Amino acid sequence: MDTMNCNAFLDQLEQWMDGDRSADAQSHLRACPQCRGVVDDLESIHQVAASMDAADPAPPEKIWLALRSQLEQEGLIHGEELTWAEALATWFGGVFSAVPRPALAGAYMVALIAVGITIAGRSYTPINGSQVSTQPLMAQLNTAEQDAVSSMTNSDPVVVASLHKNLAIVDNYIALCEKSVQEEPESEVARDYLYGAYQQKAELLAQITERGDDR
Amino acid sequence: MSSQASLRSRHCRKVVAILAPGLFLMVASPALADRIERHFKVDAHPVVTIHNPTGLVTVRAWTKSEVMVVAKRATDRVDVDAEQIENRVEIMTHQIPDNASPGDLRADLEISVPEDAELQIHNDSGGVNVSNVLGDMNVETIAADVALEDAAGYLTVKTVDGSFQCTRCAGRIEATSISGNFRFIDLRSYHVRAQTSEGNILFNGEFLPNGTYELKNYNGVIEVRFSPNDSFNLSATSLKGKVNNEAKLTPSSHHHHFLPKFGNALFGTMNTGRASVELTSFSGTINILKRD
Repeated sequence: MDTMNCNAFLDQLEQWMDGDRSADAQSHLRACPQCRGVVDDLESIHQVAASMDAADPAPPEKIWLALRSQLEQEGLIHGEELTWAEALATWFGGVFSAVPRPALAGAYMVALIAVGITIAGRSYTPINGSQVSTQPLMAQLNTAEQDAVSSMTNSDPVVVASLHKNLAIVDNYIALCEKSVQEEPESEVARDYLYGAYQQKAELLAQITERGDDR
Repeated sequence: MSSQASLRSRHCRKVVAILAPGLFLMVASPALADRIERHFKVDAHPVVTIHNPTGLVTVRAWTKSEVMVVAKRATDRVDVDAEQIENRVEIMTHQIPDNASPGDLRADLEISVPEDAELQIHNDSGGVNVSNVLGDMNVETIAADVALEDAAGYLTVKTVDGSFQCTRCAGRIEATSISGNFRFIDLRSYHVRAQTSEGNILFNGEFLPNGTYELKNYNGVIEVRFSPNDSFNLSATSLKGKVNNEAKLTPSSHHHHFLPKFGNALFGTMNTGRASVELTSFSGTINILKRD
């Protein structure tokens, strides 16, 4: 029987990812597809990070501080809700401390967007009537997109056309999901789709960047 | 015809007869040079990594404890490296001059591996076909289609707009795409997690007891075909689309609402609910249909 709610589980997320898994947490994870999704995503990122070389470590703290500040400004998180987010940040910090700098571009982007939107999804509370604003995240992604697109000028035209087509699809997907979240800010499903859309864009940009680095 | 003309004609035929085999060899020799074949002895559970940006990748299982690589290059501007490091075989295609055009870089690979091999395949455009390999597999493509047959193990497939078809696969399947279509035919998998944004998903297989099946898209059609003996708990939700259902479901105790046939959310249990089936779409259509 599930005796734990999502917030309690997320408070224990760092312990969970470190292998310290209580019976209550296990039971909750079996019953909750949302938390299972978060854990699956973190495990995927962990696996990718673990497969990278241990050269040229880069400290992640400033990125987490910037993210925290940005999310607070946007009203997506509050001070008291930061416990699990901080724990998550610490955990990510540990994961990424051994990742080489070139690989960080894509990996961080995925992690930041995933966590940012996850936080928005878990603890969204409009402040002073404001709605979710994802503009800073979009700006971050747009910069990454410009870099990524410029890196694929000499690639196979079939591949370039495919990537352009799919970037447009994901952008359209993000716009529709944002509209849906604005219309129904309490809808978990709408937020989940928005989270998925951002994550997909970040992953796609990471893939494009990786192709550019390969050549 | 004068005797001189006849002589010239006979002479020409003789010249052609002498030169023809030589010409054939000259034409044939570049093609022979472009076929590369390598063999590697391996132990149990070898890992085979394939990085071939452009061209077909075909992998088949065989009974030998050996990996055989046959590469056919479009031009000599592309090179295929194959090397062995312990029980790992790495196959990599790369361009030789920097100014090679994308069309010059095509290489088709045919690879034979032991059936317990683990595969890691990276192919941007072309296609990936794998049959009868039972080890874990990770396939990543951009525009290339992926077809797996009689595979098992932990299968992860990621495409941008390539389609993915899995026929008679077992084990665990995780697939993601942006605009690729997915087709799961005659599956025997206990865990399937598939997500494509703009693509369609067809699942025509068995829902195994204790199995979990999560199919998700943003737009497009999710179609699941069930047989009367299948036993599963179903959750089907399309936020802005439609859910069409032919299954006789009993209302789920975990959900407050139960919509019997049409609507955009449906929760219920078929038979004793031994598997878990979760279908989710943003604006697409979900069809739960009887298997023919």
